Amino acid sequence: MQDAVRGFIALAAQVGLNFDFLTSPFELRMWLDGMTTTLVLVALTIPLSLVCGVGLAAALTSNRPWLAGPARAYVELTRNTPTLVQLMFTVLVVNMLISQALGGAQNNPLGAYFWLVAVISLHVAALHAEALRGGIEAVPAATVEAARGLGFSRLEVLRVVELPLAVRTALPAIVNNLVNLVKLTTIGYAVAVNEITYASLMIWTQRDNVVELMIVLLLFFSAINLAVARFGAAVERRLAVPGYGQ
Amino acid sequence: MIRKTTGTKTTGKKTPLRAAALLAALLAGISGAQADATLDRIKAKGKFTVGVILSGAPFGSIDPKTQEQKGFNIDLARALADKLGVALETVTVTPPNRVQFLQQGKVDALLANMQVTEDRAKIMDFPPTVFDRAGGAAIGRKDSGIKDWADLKGKPVCVSQGSNFTQPLIEQYGAVVKGLPSQPESLLALKGGTCVVAVHTGATLGLMLEDRADEWRDYGILIPTEIVPADSVVWIRKGEKDTAAVLDKALRELIASGKLLEIAKANRLLNTAFIEEQQKTLSAAR
Repeated sequence: MQDAVRGFIALAAQVGLNFDFLTSPFELRMWLDGMTTTLVLVALTIPLSLVCGVGLAAALTSNRPWLAGPARAYVELTRNTPTLVQLMFTVLVVNMLISQALGGAQNNPLGAYFWLVAVISLHVAALHAEALRGGIEAVPAATVEAARGLGFSRLEVLRVVELPLAVRTALPAIVNNLVNLVKLTTIGYAVAVNEITYASLMIWTQRDNVVELMIVLLLFFSAINLAVARFGAAVERRLAVPGYGQ
Repeated sequence: MIRKTTGTKTTGKKTPLRAAALLAALLAGISGAQADATLDRIKAKGKFTVGVILSGAPFGSIDPKTQEQKGFNIDLARALADKLGVALETVTVTPPNRVQFLQQGKVDALLANMQVTEDRAKIMDFPPTVFDRAGGAAIGRKDSGIKDWADLKGKPVCVSQGSNFTQPLIEQYGAVVKGLPSQPESLLALKGGTCVVAVHTGATLGLMLEDRADEWRDYGILIPTEIVPADSVVWIRKGEKDTAAVLDKALRELIASGKLLEIAKANRLLNTAFIEEQQKTLSAAR
């Protein structure tokens, strides 16, 4: 392993790329931790965003104003403000107020990592909700009426008729949102969550090997998103209903 | 095994490497084949272009009244340009782009709070004369009980992303380092309780505690010593011997004549012991 790393460093040096940091245990650990953290973040935020997105979409399309109103307000607020600003605001301002209310930072269990997961999931959930709403509204009115006529309650109609069809319509947009979500995890750098961009930044500010780490960053995110997009396409094929939307 | 002419073989092997090298060169923006053209260029355009960092007083900042750049780095750059007999042009740089700016020829030199490290010395050169020595000081609540660098073991410590205090804090003192985008965020995080202390250049913190005493009255510099004091130098492109020689001579003159100390005092660097020491040594050597 050591020899392979040394060989790679020598090879890279031949083409003018400096990967010397791989020999420093401290930096290597930080860098690999960064990759792991990014993957864990993605694994956490994708399901969270989907669950919250479905909930929000249900609220948005409900006929009860006390449900639809706040959901609409939340979607507008989160969709129309930069995610980075939301994160800085929650970590540096909201979290400080929570700490003060609890009588000191030592009593506050919420850290930057928690807020990063929360902000990304909820932000992307709003985008999912809009995509799903489009899908729900695309379900033919006759289909919904037929279901109501068969005695399904509103919630049952949503669960067994509207959502299954809406998901199929909204899938391309949802996969798009998930690709964006993967890229959004990089805002963790601003609140010192050790994801891969933060780790790279901490290394390149010491060693000035920006180009080398940028190449790895691009390849790393390309690989994750290629997997996300492939998976999305496979799900689309699996769920395709002959004669519906084709 | 009969030896064949290896012409095709080697090119076959080398082409991807060469392509990669070309790509790397393009990516890194290495402007090849530049012997020491910098001096001629400076003279030709009548301008000395310096990359400066505006991360806060006393080293570099924007004057809110006049919108002019001011600070120790700017004044030193101006003094060097005067010595070269040309006008000064400054370009604002940041830690991620400063080396690229130098290597791509966007700037002739860097005065960007960059101390000498082994890695930097590999890819750039500098005139050997050191003009300052900067280390990190720890600011925190006076009632935090931190008195020594060793007390930071396992405690969260805020720094700016890219400070050279990160590694010693983690490796020597076992602190949990949180790097925030820049000093203002790091200090806000300190106030918010994200970390126990924030570590930044001593000169900047000292000045802040003096200028904004009311806002920072519960806080102070907790540890009497500074962490990793390192040499501040002017950085130039690799292999530019003539430029290095000219700048070195200019720096030595500035230090020996007391001009550098004047600049430091005018910009309120609180600790000028190092510069005074340099001045003694260099004026004695004259």
